[in-house]
Amino acid sequence: MPELIDGLLSPLGQGFVRRALAAGTALGAAGALLGVFIVQRGLGLLSDGLAHATFGGLALGLLLGATVDRAIWVALPFTVAIALGIQHVRRRTTLGGDVATGVFFAVSFAAGILFLGLRPARSVPVNVEGLLFGSLLAVSPEALAVILAVAALTVVVLAVIGPRLAYATFDPELATLSGVPVAALEYLLLALTALVVVVGVKTVGVVLVSAFVVIPAAAANLLGRSLAGIALLAVALSVGGTAFGLFASYHLNVATGATIILTLGAFFFLALVLRRR
Amino acid sequence: MTDAIRARGVTVKLGGHLVLDDVTFEVARGEFACLCGPNGGGKTTFLKAALGLVPLEAGAIEVLGTTPGAARRHVGYLPQAKSFNPAFPARVAEVIAANRTGVWPLRVSAQERERARAALARVGGERLLDSPLRGLSGGETQRVFLARALVNEPALLLLDEPTAGVDARGRGEFLDLLAGVAARDDLAAVLVTHNPATVRRLAERVVYLDGRVQAWGPPAEVLDRDGNRPSAFSGQDHDHRQGPMCEDE
Repeated sequence: MPELIDGLLSPLGQGFVRRALAAGTALGAAGALLGVFIVQRGLGLLSDGLAHATFGGLALGLLLGATVDRAIWVALPFTVAIALGIQHVRRRTTLGGDVATGVFFAVSFAAGILFLGLRPARSVPVNVEGLLFGSLLAVSPEALAVILAVAALTVVVLAVIGPRLAYATFDPELATLSGVPVAALEYLLLALTALVVVVGVKTVGVVLVSAFVVIPAAAANLLGRSLAGIALLAVALSVGGTAFGLFASYHLNVATGATIILTLGAFFFLALVLRRR
Repeated sequence: MTDAIRARGVTVKLGGHLVLDDVTFEVARGEFACLCGPNGGGKTTFLKAALGLVPLEAGAIEVLGTTPGAARRHVGYLPQAKSFNPAFPARVAEVIAANRTGVWPLRVSAQERERARAALARVGGERLLDSPLRGLSGGETQRVFLARALVNEPALLLLDEPTAGVDARGRGEFLDLLAGVAARDDLAAVLVTHNPATVRRLAERVVYLDGRVQAWGPPAEVLDRDGNRPSAFSGQDHDHRQGPMCEDE
């Protein structure tokens, strides 16, 4: 038995696997905590929309002459602006969050394609697939530091605003009457989601970062009975699914991101079966 | 003593549309008033203005002798049934405790739990303390929200069609409960309702609101014998925007 465990954990002997595990679990935990509020608010498409908007931001950075690594500093304000734009449309019109997300998602993704096409012919070629799907196993020590900082910031901010944000999620009108700054908290939630998504897209790709936000929170929502319980369960599922998916992909020699998503998906379908009646 | 509500020339525009136009009336302390009127007549908007949730274009509202924002702590508000996020995993004790503390409790303290239990006892709902909110019937839900409104010991209740969508039995029980609580604690109340039977049963004064105050006084003076229109308009043409001003729910 010890030999089996040693064998399963042997990938940890390699630095890039340790970095991938740290990056994946940190992003997974931060995404899952945000996801608890995003899913409760019926904004499941938001993270997907912001992830595609990030592509537009990265492409704009490349058009402005930044390297792929530096383009994140353009993508970050670009995606936060898109998130705030979505929230503004939600608050100021009768359109739902999904419609606002759909519009901004399509426009910013199309803008990204346009920005890449406008780059001078002599520019360094860009691997669009790499931009879209990232590579968890290729996380550099510098990128890991950024991910850990963003994840820590997310946890701290949510720990501070969580109880008020939860009240606003239950009933914004009643929360307002109790003195909760509902609008400010909603903008902050979307800006924080944009931050995690941008950092996540750069390292784990569009699809995985959306999965981190939506799937664990959705599965935990099916099983949990209180907000605190749902949050803890979502983080546990996300961290556990990421670790399992990473090791499984290593031993099976298959795509890491896809294996993690399929593991999280399996958790979701298991939760569907086990959900409280 | 100041009035519970004193509205003077209240004018509200929403999205450029005039919803309340020069609305003036008052509700005395301890008085039970009903707001009636057609859909779109501004009843809910008036309640929101009295809560400080919508800005006034002109005029002023005093609530318990002060501004709506400053009075909020002493005002209990009941929204329409099931207006909250139905996906949220709320428990009854959390709903009541949140109104006391202003934050959603990740864990309800023993002290807050006892307060919630006491508030529920006032509405005969002690057994609901640990229930998930989404499993309750419409009548039970409104009982919980009445307890929530009472937990801060308000001097004024604002109720926005609290029995809409509640079955006849639940509606009757809730209105009996409401009348009992208001009388026992000498609370002023403003109830938005479309139901003439509710008006006759509870109201000491009725305000007919159709953008402007069209009639105001005791139910017997304001309602006609059918209860469908204010007697002030009997025999007159009146621009009913959407059907009668007071109708069965």
